Amino acid sequence: MAWYRPSLTRREILGNFLGSLAILSSSRVLGAAEASAPQHRRPTPPNEIGPFYKKNAPKTATLRTPGDPGMPLTVRGQLFNTRGDAPPNAVIEVWQADHLGHYDLDGYRYRAQLPLDPAGGYQFDSVIPGHYPDRVGQHIHFLALASGHKPLVTQLYFATDPVFDGDPDHNFGRDPLLRSRELVRPVVLTGDPHEMQALVHFDLVLELL
Amino acid sequence: MRSMRWFCALVLILPALGENLKLERTITVPPDAVVRFTAISPKGDWIAGACQDGRVRVWSFPSGELRQAFDLEDQRVTSLRFSADGAWLAVGGDRGGVRIWNIPSGKLRLQLKGGEPVVALAISPDRSLLAAARKDEPAQLWDLSTERVITELPARFAGSLSLDFSPDGQWLACADADTQIRIYESRTGALRATTSDLLLETFAVAFSVDSKSLYVGGADKTVSVIDVAGGKVVRTFPRQTYAVSEFASSADGKILLALYFDETDTAKPAPVVAWDVAAESVQAEASPPQVTPNGGGFLGNGRGIFTSSAGAKLQVWSLQNRGR
Repeated sequence: MAWYRPSLTRREILGNFLGSLAILSSSRVLGAAEASAPQHRRPTPPNEIGPFYKKNAPKTATLRTPGDPGMPLTVRGQLFNTRGDAPPNAVIEVWQADHLGHYDLDGYRYRAQLPLDPAGGYQFDSVIPGHYPDRVGQHIHFLALASGHKPLVTQLYFATDPVFDGDPDHNFGRDPLLRSRELVRPVVLTGDPHEMQALVHFDLVLELL
Repeated sequence: MRSMRWFCALVLILPALGENLKLERTITVPPDAVVRFTAISPKGDWIAGACQDGRVRVWSFPSGELRQAFDLEDQRVTSLRFSADGAWLAVGGDRGGVRIWNIPSGKLRLQLKGGEPVVALAISPDRSLLAAARKDEPAQLWDLSTERVITELPARFAGSLSLDFSPDGQWLACADADTQIRIYESRTGALRATTSDLLLETFAVAFSVDSKSLYVGGADKTVSVIDVAGGKVVRTFPRQTYAVSEFASSADGKILLALYFDETDTAKPAPVVAWDVAAESVQAEASPPQVTPNGGGFLGNGRGIFTSSAGAKLQVWSLQNRGR
C-alpha cells in the first residue's frame, strides 16, 4: 500500500464534526490528523502535466461562476517546502475540466493563478471536474513554483470518484497515471442536503534545490 | 467472427476514403503485438512500430517484410526516432532507457541507462549528437562519440515534449511543457532563442529543409511557423479541429504532413493533413472513419503516408495530394 499522510488540521476536523458529512476512504485519515506546527515534510508526489496547460491564467480564487452546473467544490491547502516553511514569492496555478470533462483551451474557464497568503495558504472555489475518455480519474492539475525550489507539477484526485468504488486504498491504481495514493484526497460534504458542497484539503510540499 | 468484424470495418471505411487516400499495405502482426505507434524513416523505406508486446518491429516498405525486432528489456517503448539518413533507429522506454540500433543490420550502437520515461528523441543529421527528453526532467544533449552528456537543456518546469535538429545540424529545437519553444546551438547547447508567443503546449516541432524556419503545433490546433533567427512566430496556418501530434516534412520541403489527435480521447479517429507550406493551405486531407493515425512520413516520390492500427493489422495509407 502506498504511503499516506493525512493533513487535516485540528480546526478542520472540528469544523467537519460540527455539521458536515464526511466521506472518507479510511478511518486512519481522521485518527492520524496532525497539528499545523512547522515540521519536516515529504515532498508531494509529482504527476503528469497533461496536454491542457495554458499559461497566463488569471489571478483569482473563483473558478466557479454562479449557476455553473456540477458539484460545487472548495479546495484549500498550504504550500510548504520540505523544511515545513512557506516558500516566499511562490506561485500556484490550477487547471481542470468542467463538470462534463471539457477543458477550455480557447479561454481560461477553470484555470487560475491562485492568491497565496503569507503563510502559503490558498483556497479556491470550483466544481468537481468530470471524467473524459482518456483519463480514468477525476483530477485537478497543480503547478507550484518558488525560487530555490524544484518545480512541482502534480494532480489532485478525489476519494469519492466512482472509479475507486469507495476504496481508493485498493483501487487508486485503476487510473494508470495515478501512482501515489497520497494524491487521492478525502472529500468532505458540507451544507444541508439541498445545497451540498464538497471540501477538499490538499497541501503541497516543494523540494528545496 | 474476426473476419466479419474486418468486413464490417472495411464497408464503413471504403466509402469515406475518397480519392485522397489509398491503403498501400496491410502488415499483419502477432495478436499480442498490436502496433501502438510508428516512426517512418525519412525516405519512407523503413517503418518501425512500437508494439504492445514490448518489442519494436522494423519492416521494410513497401514490401512489408519484417527485418528486425528489438526490445528494451521489459521497458515499454515510449519513443521512436530515425536518423535523417534512416540508418539509425533510436528507441526510448518508460524506465528511461535509450538504445540506438543500426538499420537494417540490427547492430546495437548505443545504450543509455534509465530514469524517467523517455518523451522524445532526436539524432543530429551527422549522427554525432543525440537529444533525449525524459518526463519532467531537462532534456539532455549527448555526444555520441564519447557517450557523455554535453549539457542539459532546462525548461521552467516539466521538461520537453518534442525535439528536432535542423537539417544543417546547427540548431536543436525543444518544445517545452512550459509552452516555450527553445532553440539551442546544437554543438554546445547554448540557448539561441526562446519563443514565448504560444499559450498552450506544443507537441510537435520540425525544422524546414533550409533550417531557417521551425514548424510547431500542439494543443492550439494550429501549425505556427517560427523564424529561427528571430525566435518569433511569423506565420500561422488555418486552425483545425484537433491538436497536432506529429510532423513530417517532404524532402523538398514543400509539403508538411501534420498528424492530429483528439486530446481528450486519443483512441478516436483524427485527420492527417498535407499542408502546402508556401500557400499555407491544405493540399490533401484524410479523415477516414475508424482510423486513428499513429505515425506519419513520406515516400521517396514525395507522397505522404501514415499508419494506423486495426487489431493485429498495421495499415499504411498514402495521401494522393489531389487537394480537396
